[in-house]
Amino acid sequence: MSETGLRNELEDLLRRCVECGLCLPHCATWLATGNEVQSPRGRLLLLGDVLDQASPDPAALSALDQCIGCRACEEACPSGVPFSLLERGQQRAAAAAPEPALPGPVLRRLDRPGFLAALRPLANTGQDMLAHLAGRTWRDRLARIAAVQVLGTVPRGPGSDQSLVALLDRLTGNSGPWQAPRPAPEPDAGPLGFFAGCANRGLLPDTSRRLRGLLEAAGFQITVPGNQDCCGALAAHTGRPGRAARLRRRNRRAFAGAGRIVVEAAGCGLELQSRADGPEAEAVDAVVVLAGADLPPLATLGLAVAVHDPCHARHGQGIVDEPRDLLRSIPGVRVLEPDEAEVCCGAGGAWGLRYPHLSEELGRRKARLLAATGADLIVTSNPGCLGRIADGLARESVEPPILPLTDLLWYAAIRAKG
Amino acid sequence: MPHTGPARSTPADPVARLRRLLGPSGWLDDTAARTVYARDASHLRLGRPLGVALPATREAAAAVLRACADAGLAVVARGTGTGLSGGALPADGQVVLGLSRLTACGAVDETGRRVLVGAGVLNDQVSRHARSSGLHFAPDPSSQAAASIGGNVAENAGGPHCLRHGVTLQHVRRLAWLDAEGRAWSTGCGAPGIRGLDLATLLCGSEGTLGLVTDAELSLVPVAEAEATLLAPFPRLEEAAAAVVDLLADGLLPVAVETVDRAMLVAVEAAFGFGFPTDVDAVVIAEFAGAAAEVAADGERARRLLAGAGAPDVRLAADAAERARLWQCRKRAFGAVGRLAPSYVTMDVVVPLGALPRLVTDIQGIKAEHGVEVATTFHAGDGNLHPGVHYDDRDPEETHRAHAAADAIIRRALALGGSITGEHGVGVEKLHALPWQVDAEAARLMHGVKDIFDPAGRLNPGKVLPALACDWTPAPPVPGEIEVRRRDLTVTAPAGASLAAVQRAAREHGFWVPLGGWFDRTAAGPGAGSLGTVGEAVDQNTTGPALVGGLSVRDVLLEVWATDGQGRDFHAGAPVFKNVAGYDLTHLLAGAGGILARVRAATFKLRPLPPVLAWWTWRGDVAAAWPRFEAVLAKRPAEPGAPVVVADLAAGFLGVLAAGREAPWDLDGLGEELAVAAVSLEITGSEQTPSTAVDIIPAVLPDWARGASDWFALHAADGGPSAPAGDRFLWQAAPRTLWTPVAPPASTDLVCDPVWQGGVPTPLPAPPDGVPRHLLQGLKDFFDPDRSLPTPVWLQTGQETP
Repeated sequence: MSETGLRNELEDLLRRCVECGLCLPHCATWLATGNEVQSPRGRLLLLGDVLDQASPDPAALSALDQCIGCRACEEACPSGVPFSLLERGQQRAAAAAPEPALPGPVLRRLDRPGFLAALRPLANTGQDMLAHLAGRTWRDRLARIAAVQVLGTVPRGPGSDQSLVALLDRLTGNSGPWQAPRPAPEPDAGPLGFFAGCANRGLLPDTSRRLRGLLEAAGFQITVPGNQDCCGALAAHTGRPGRAARLRRRNRRAFAGAGRIVVEAAGCGLELQSRADGPEAEAVDAVVVLAGADLPPLATLGLAVAVHDPCHARHGQGIVDEPRDLLRSIPGVRVLEPDEAEVCCGAGGAWGLRYPHLSEELGRRKARLLAATGADLIVTSNPGCLGRIADGLARESVEPPILPLTDLLWYAAIRAKG
Repeated sequence: MPHTGPARSTPADPVARLRRLLGPSGWLDDTAARTVYARDASHLRLGRPLGVALPATREAAAAVLRACADAGLAVVARGTGTGLSGGALPADGQVVLGLSRLTACGAVDETGRRVLVGAGVLNDQVSRHARSSGLHFAPDPSSQAAASIGGNVAENAGGPHCLRHGVTLQHVRRLAWLDAEGRAWSTGCGAPGIRGLDLATLLCGSEGTLGLVTDAELSLVPVAEAEATLLAPFPRLEEAAAAVVDLLADGLLPVAVETVDRAMLVAVEAAFGFGFPTDVDAVVIAEFAGAAAEVAADGERARRLLAGAGAPDVRLAADAAERARLWQCRKRAFGAVGRLAPSYVTMDVVVPLGALPRLVTDIQGIKAEHGVEVATTFHAGDGNLHPGVHYDDRDPEETHRAHAAADAIIRRALALGGSITGEHGVGVEKLHALPWQVDAEAARLMHGVKDIFDPAGRLNPGKVLPALACDWTPAPPVPGEIEVRRRDLTVTAPAGASLAAVQRAAREHGFWVPLGGWFDRTAAGPGAGSLGTVGEAVDQNTTGPALVGGLSVRDVLLEVWATDGQGRDFHAGAPVFKNVAGYDLTHLLAGAGGILARVRAATFKLRPLPPVLAWWTWRGDVAAAWPRFEAVLAKRPAEPGAPVVVADLAAGFLGVLAAGREAPWDLDGLGEELAVAAVSLEITGSEQTPSTAVDIIPAVLPDWARGASDWFALHAADGGPSAPAGDRFLWQAAPRTLWTPVAPPASTDLVCDPVWQGGVPTPLPAPPDGVPRHLLQGLKDFFDPDRSLPTPVWLQTGQETP
């Protein structure tokens, strides 16, 4: 499209915004700051100048860069202003972005599962030390050191099957021997290519393994192509389009011929779905696959469970009913909805590394609202949210643990047999 | 820590002072902030602010106001910028004071049905916060998801459900606010329905021109037991409008009645795909709420009426989820207009209900005459229309035509007896139209109010009021006799008219002024259900002990004609259910004890007459049994027909009166448990039985309750439940008041107003602590400089310095 054509198209889209302000309460950065510059309407008001001027106002660029990209505003907007508008501003603003809270060499390796796997024991020990030795006060004080702050948000699953079972046994009052779910004797649910995802593979490998077990028990034939790689989202969002494109090519080859791809992290799923040069096969969120699957029998669990929807699932892929349906399929589980359910938890991938303080504030706000439901347990389905909210819960000293939704399902399945 | 103490000399540079005060995240003066805060939801713009202050506490907000006062800077208060009339727009060099960080939400007081919230709390958040207590905040402007309570108060916001519950003012108990110098004040007394000059009446709807509200104590309303929402597609818009009037004139009282026209339906469908029909001219949405049996019966009656009026396929919302989605679509309709045209003028005219079909027809004519497109949503039951005139602001000719059409619609609404704005406010958008509605003397008084509150003119200057030197409209003639307008649901009467006569006139149509009273006073003085004159009711904001609970006079008063202390006549308000055109002089006079002006006539809103009156009597140890009775009675909705208790401790007698529908409620089983004897009587009676319950009831009341020379109104200072005081008392659920014919013991911690002594009203009591007396004094000096009207002792002395 010509430069003028593009300009006209953008202008037409911008004019759709009637400035009603209905987006404000859905925007995490506005809720945290009360500053309308940090709101979708504010950012759109600045967008024209940012796109037009050769050297736009730094404060305007910064406002656009501080947009997490959660897309909650797009869903709330009655005039249908597309989020892609803000995205254009963000691309322009990337140059003005602050340095991430992590040194470049570390940041560049976050999309390498091996590096993350090596980091995991270190992060776990660090978090344990923070939790047990430092306590909340010191956690807050130490958090001024960026590395400590990031450390607190490294997603951490329940670990081994034994520790997951111990945790949930304690919450549900179950006990006794159990057996991991077995693959269905007649796998008739079709083939699934399993997309591992860096964070899941590196940091939550046990959770991934349990998910695969659950899918196999539901009759899927799982293949895990060995030559797959990062989805490319981190590279794309940290100004490395070349690497992102290379990664997409690699995944396209790896998943050639796969019927469907099951994706554990919502962020990876959205990235795989939204690029034309990504895999040809349809990428489907694991929660959606499970919600439509013929699951093994599930035990009755007397739990009140609050759901946190990852933005990339709820706003990016429209996944809202599926996690709730899955939870309700576990007998005895009561699903609780937190206030501001549609608002981002502040994880935001690379965004959280650039704006650690705002990210932390949002994580705490989310943790408070989730805990206010009175839930016994919080579940989510994205590693970033898991880490951000766990950190918020620890800082707010509020009770309920947070787990990957698939781990709860797996537990319900293994307890059904006991 | 920013240093704010007085020790440091005031710096010459106010910006430096503000920055030091608020820090970099609380004082914004970069181009981005000045661009964003130059706009609101109105499509208008004035200029760019000097900067934006976002204080995180009430104290910091006060400090900002002091700093601005020292520097002579004008301050524009802002909530979330969802206003549609440009009330929050700054001009060049002004300071925007955003209150979005004042988000503290107090605990819900379930018995007192109230909550204290910061100005930055969003409307919808209040209801979410109160939901677990079975309560909600009734005003529900369409922008409620994003609109702040501070903004709601500033605009006196309405919303679809105001038809039944009333606008923001009716739900404000007390406001904490700051004046232009940053001094902190309070309003009111925390109990609704009491006498006094309540500055909340002026602050509500003043668009930040009189003071800045930092916290609001709000009334909460019980969540209804059942709801029924009807969706009626009408092939013709005029039929839809007429059907709404017929529905209400027939005596049905939905919680909300909305209409959406075809152009708006198309936009809403494109946006949300709810499943509205788009091949009809209009859809009427009518919602009923209350007890399950009543809701079902009303819903069915409404369905038949709507079907008979031209909507053959009335649909009932299947469940709560569908109802929620329906309202969400309706409330987001505004934004959906962005899909129709690049710009639009959103209007907010109100007409007397009966004139609704006429205005709808006339708008079609104006549309054709000016060659413009109009999409309309109406709060039809309130007579409040939001026609949106569409245009492309890149085309000057089209822009001109759109604005001409909008003005023509406003003129038409005024010709039909309406108002230029029901809930959006004057802002800057309707400044030119205010003189078309307000008379010169009322305008002079409004300017006087502004000068008293903000003598330096630094609070949101240039909003609400145009310059005094305008061509103001003449006041409508003062009515000489009682006139019931059934299709408008209003009654107008001269001040000297007996309210009992007003009620008799209304009863013939099946309606009443829901004040809990019916008959003329006895020789002994005021008593349960007896009424004085219209003028006295306005002055006292109460008619005395109610027969069955009602609303306060302020809640039903729509319009007054009055004369100020210098003998100048003015008119305030309009015979419409919502009106925010200028400062609210009408409600200022309600309960003002006649100290500001002498009322000449008034218009009240009518409500359907409850058909049945129930009377329970019980004998025993009243003091011991009272808590059980009160617990049950206090659960009833505080609305017309709410229970009243007549108790005599010495005689061991307790009677409960309540009005309702066919099946009077049974005291929730308490009747059986305590062996309460019940009688129910028809209020409306029938042609065969000439005497009705209203006429029978005085005979069953004890003499002391029928009339007495002295009455003391008592309220719990904290707004909570009230305990028996004295041997004899009348307790009413709405407005929550305890009446005793003898002075209560001094030990009681209840707030006491000796309203009548020796059969005449006593002088207006002094305001509670925290209310700025210098402003009350200023109002008195301006309205009645020569003290020719009643003047309480506390206003006779010289002015206090704050």
